[in-house]
Amino acid sequence: MYNYTEYDRDFLKSRVAEFRDQTERRLSGELDEEEYKQLRLRNGLYLQRQAYMLRVAIPYGMLSSVQMKKLAHIARVYDKGYGHITTRQNIQYNWPELEQVPDILAELADVDMHAIQTSGNCIRNTTTDPLAGAIGDEVDDPRPWCELIRQWSTLHPEFNWLPRKFKIAVTGALSDRAAIQVHDIGLRLVRNEAGASGFEVLVGGGLGRTPYIGQVIHEFLPTQHLLTYLAAILRVYNLEGRRDNLYKARIKILVNALGIDTFREKVDQQWARSRDTDDTFTAEQFSALKAQFPTAPLLGTLQTTVELDNGSHKGPDQMFSNPLFNQWYQTNTRPHRDSGRRIVYLSLKAPGVPAGDITADQMDKVAELAERFSESEIRSTHEQNLVLAHVPVDDLFKLWSELKAVRLATPNLGKLTDMIVCPGLDYCSLANAGTLEIHDQIYQRFDDLDYLHELGDVSIKISGCMNACGHHHVGDIGILGVDKGGVEWYQLTIGGHAGNKAALGQRLGKAIAKSDVADAIGHLLEAYIAVREPEESFHDTVMRLGTTPFKEKVYATAA
Amino acid sequence: MPLLRNGHLVTDNPWIRLEDDVPTTSPAANAATVDAPLLVSMTRFLELQAHTNSGVSGVFLSPEDDVQLLSEHLHRIQVIVINFPKYTDGRGYSQARMLREQFHFAGELRASGDVRPDQLLFMARAGIDAFEFAETPDEKQIKQILARFQVNYQPSYALPVAG
Repeated sequence: MYNYTEYDRDFLKSRVAEFRDQTERRLSGELDEEEYKQLRLRNGLYLQRQAYMLRVAIPYGMLSSVQMKKLAHIARVYDKGYGHITTRQNIQYNWPELEQVPDILAELADVDMHAIQTSGNCIRNTTTDPLAGAIGDEVDDPRPWCELIRQWSTLHPEFNWLPRKFKIAVTGALSDRAAIQVHDIGLRLVRNEAGASGFEVLVGGGLGRTPYIGQVIHEFLPTQHLLTYLAAILRVYNLEGRRDNLYKARIKILVNALGIDTFREKVDQQWARSRDTDDTFTAEQFSALKAQFPTAPLLGTLQTTVELDNGSHKGPDQMFSNPLFNQWYQTNTRPHRDSGRRIVYLSLKAPGVPAGDITADQMDKVAELAERFSESEIRSTHEQNLVLAHVPVDDLFKLWSELKAVRLATPNLGKLTDMIVCPGLDYCSLANAGTLEIHDQIYQRFDDLDYLHELGDVSIKISGCMNACGHHHVGDIGILGVDKGGVEWYQLTIGGHAGNKAALGQRLGKAIAKSDVADAIGHLLEAYIAVREPEESFHDTVMRLGTTPFKEKVYATAA
Repeated sequence: MPLLRNGHLVTDNPWIRLEDDVPTTSPAANAATVDAPLLVSMTRFLELQAHTNSGVSGVFLSPEDDVQLLSEHLHRIQVIVINFPKYTDGRGYSQARMLREQFHFAGELRASGDVRPDQLLFMARAGIDAFEFAETPDEKQIKQILARFQVNYQPSYALPVAG
């Protein structure tokens, strides 16, 4: 992963000092809350329902074990002993004291971390495929490009005061695990017929109250032009995006108001003037970045001659004769491009725990396991889980045993209980409805693992308001909390999808009462099992049959 | 209004801003001299260019103005005022960078409107080199803010810090 240079560290120290100064001026009353708000937001500090919330950046989801230990330390010393992984692959602390935030940032800077641009109307943390550099279906590793974008977008002199927040996602794989079609800008690394690499560039996707699927603005942008082209898009948006209405200020609204062709013309016109003058990067600079992302040492074919030392290592036969291990292996691990390794997901969706929450002790354990089994590196995912990407096959059993002991081996990855859930009314001042109770209600109702595995991969995504932080539009089943006269109701959508077949969920019908949500999900699943073809996914079934069979089941029974 | 220019706060700000509804023949306009020249809107400036060589060498922009329209006339302009109606409105940063980088404007780019100390760094790095404040700011604080970062991730313009 990327190692900070002295240059990065000097920059970060200045930023910490700047924010300390701004916070001191706020505490002394020299800055009013209105002005300080904009300054603190650009450093990830929100004022929530009960306290401040600090969102710490995990650039494109990559963490070292040393950084993870620091996150544990911060959770323990400055918070209530836990953190929350977000859908932008970041981590949030829900209970820091304002006075201590500059100290937290100084501690983060000690391990090359920060909270820069994790909120505010600026370019946010760039997200990517959590399996980058490990999965087999990759055209190229997206992470050096993400790092390039991180550096370029950090305190950019022109783009720090945009009409609204701006999110970029990059994938280098054939299978999109970064949801690039629902981002302000989505980038897909591709190769042309001549074998040169470039980006397919999408623009104007997004969720929120007016969801759109991104449209292609450039089919093949040669990679050396990435930054000048991004700048051209950002400049058109900065100049022409709406600033009169918060809800119409995202780039998706501009792109759809102008039409993609007109928008593209404007970008091209801007780019024609700036592609050779705007700041960009050299091939040497990029090579240096790329060298920071080496592949894990090749282990090659599965080793079967491991010595059996008091059960800590097990050969494949013994491993797979354990049904619990087997179930976890099937569900929570994926093939690595090196057959001697395996990609392992750590589920942060254990029963009775808010989705994405992780305790300080778990963080420490994950850091230790990463050092022992996965090149000292950890990834966070936008589905609010963690990944150890390079685990030697021979260590899987040992790893599983230790993960199980800290409740990080729930074999539910991609299953119904692997829900994406925003913090909802319990924490967030924007929310209209609670999400945590809905999560628990569903979890309790569907805790039978055999049933979940029989169902296959079905995703539930829950948002507590129209801002859609829980990505409900792209869940197989989306749940949106709404407020009706002070009462919490839940609107269901079905058939959404965030990957290659990106689609927005279709509204099922009238909203459901809070106590009936799990029952309604039960009816949806019954309908699915009744009408699906063999091996047919939930999404494909909805695409084939529409919402009617589902609607009938849910509302007939409810009536 | 206090103006920060070349790292110094100056109180004399001898430009006369002529709103569009005030005729160029008005007493206010006639008061303009070489030492206190006129500032007019971009629309009016372009109209004047079409007719005569007016001698007007100052333009104040609105955030909506397309600065490309000025590109043919920049050699006749001494100062361009960029308006920030609210400090959170970032259009002026793009106007500044386009004027400097795409059209090579070499005169003064002056930020006006809701200009606050914590914005100066972004403004200066985008090519703005003079800053008009509504109230006299704390000069020491401004210097501290401008001197904070020794390094940045993007190439940018020299900061207006006096020695």
